[in-house]
Amino acid sequence: MNISQVISQLQLQSLHDCWDDGPLSGAYTSDLMSDVMAHAKEADLLITIQSHKNTIAVATLVGARGVIVCNNRPVPEDMLAAARQENIAILVSREDQFSVSGRLYNLLRGE
Amino acid sequence: MILRADLHNHSCLSPCGDLYNSPSRMVELAAQRGITMMALTDHNSARNCPAFAVSCRRHGIFPVFGTETTTQEEIHVLSLFAEVEEALQWGEWVYQRLPDFHHDQERFGDQVVVDEDENILDIEERYLIPGIDASIEEVAQETLRRGGLVIPAHIDRSAHSISSQLGFLPDTTFSALEVTRLPVEMDTRNHPLICSSDAHFPDDIARRWITFPMEDSTGDPRQPFNALVRALQEHTPALSIASGDPA
Repeated sequence: MNISQVISQLQLQSLHDCWDDGPLSGAYTSDLMSDVMAHAKEADLLITIQSHKNTIAVATLVGARGVIVCNNRPVPEDMLAAARQENIAILVSREDQFSVSGRLYNLLRGE
Repeated sequence: MILRADLHNHSCLSPCGDLYNSPSRMVELAAQRGITMMALTDHNSARNCPAFAVSCRRHGIFPVFGTETTTQEEIHVLSLFAEVEEALQWGEWVYQRLPDFHHDQERFGDQVVVDEDENILDIEERYLIPGIDASIEEVAQETLRRGGLVIPAHIDRSAHSISSQLGFLPDTTFSALEVTRLPVEMDTRNHPLICSSDAHFPDDIARRWITFPMEDSTGDPRQPFNALVRALQEHTPALSIASGDPA
């Protein structure tokens, strides 16, 4: 499963196209960035409502491929710029973290 | 006399700060811009406070020493102390609770400990930004227990603030609340308000401040800090920002 498949299956809006469409290892759902730093894994997607450029810094740190911003939260310009520079996808969903996580779990685990 | 205090500033020890924002340069700029009391509040560390103390002495600025701590809830909170040693001991308490993530200097910027003449003394290896293993209540109570002032930072910002992380003011004693614009939308439960620069770059130093009175100097080194404490208790600081100003 890669990002482009997730975008179409979950009907996400991708805010820029400077990212690698490599295989995803999994996903991690949290709004506390220190928790993400401690537990997210390389090539994960992060599922969060923390729409802030620090989320991109943390994504970079853990080697995540992208961030799904839930609840249609607006994405600040500096976050978008950081994401472009670091090749981290920003995908916006109208749904909340519970729904996105559930749907992505089924996709990634092939149910 | 009236003190003009800027109580939230970052030096080159903060990874998001400018490498050229050394304590000596910050203090020099603040003095040029009319600040008479200044606090150094790096993220989760007070290690540049000794250099800051010397620089303040050189420029005739009353120093305040502290940190901007990231709590467990990822709320930024200022802890301010009258003396360097108190801040350094407070910094130890914070550092013991800081998760041990290695700092990627290339990616996130430098974390540099310097002396008053901008000589590099050390590079901080641990990433200083994450939340420590203590709640906002614990940080507040521990700061007050040590005789410091505890002030949740930029409570009206959309990240790392009481409003973004909790959405309400927790039922804990704070010395004041820092705001970036007026009027305040949150219920502040009659806490005194301050505004400050939160400068990470030289250009931002002295962009916001508070003013409050201090009696004629007695020579007691704690007098300016005590005047600040009293001003907050009596709700007398005047803010440099006005209602409707841009943040």
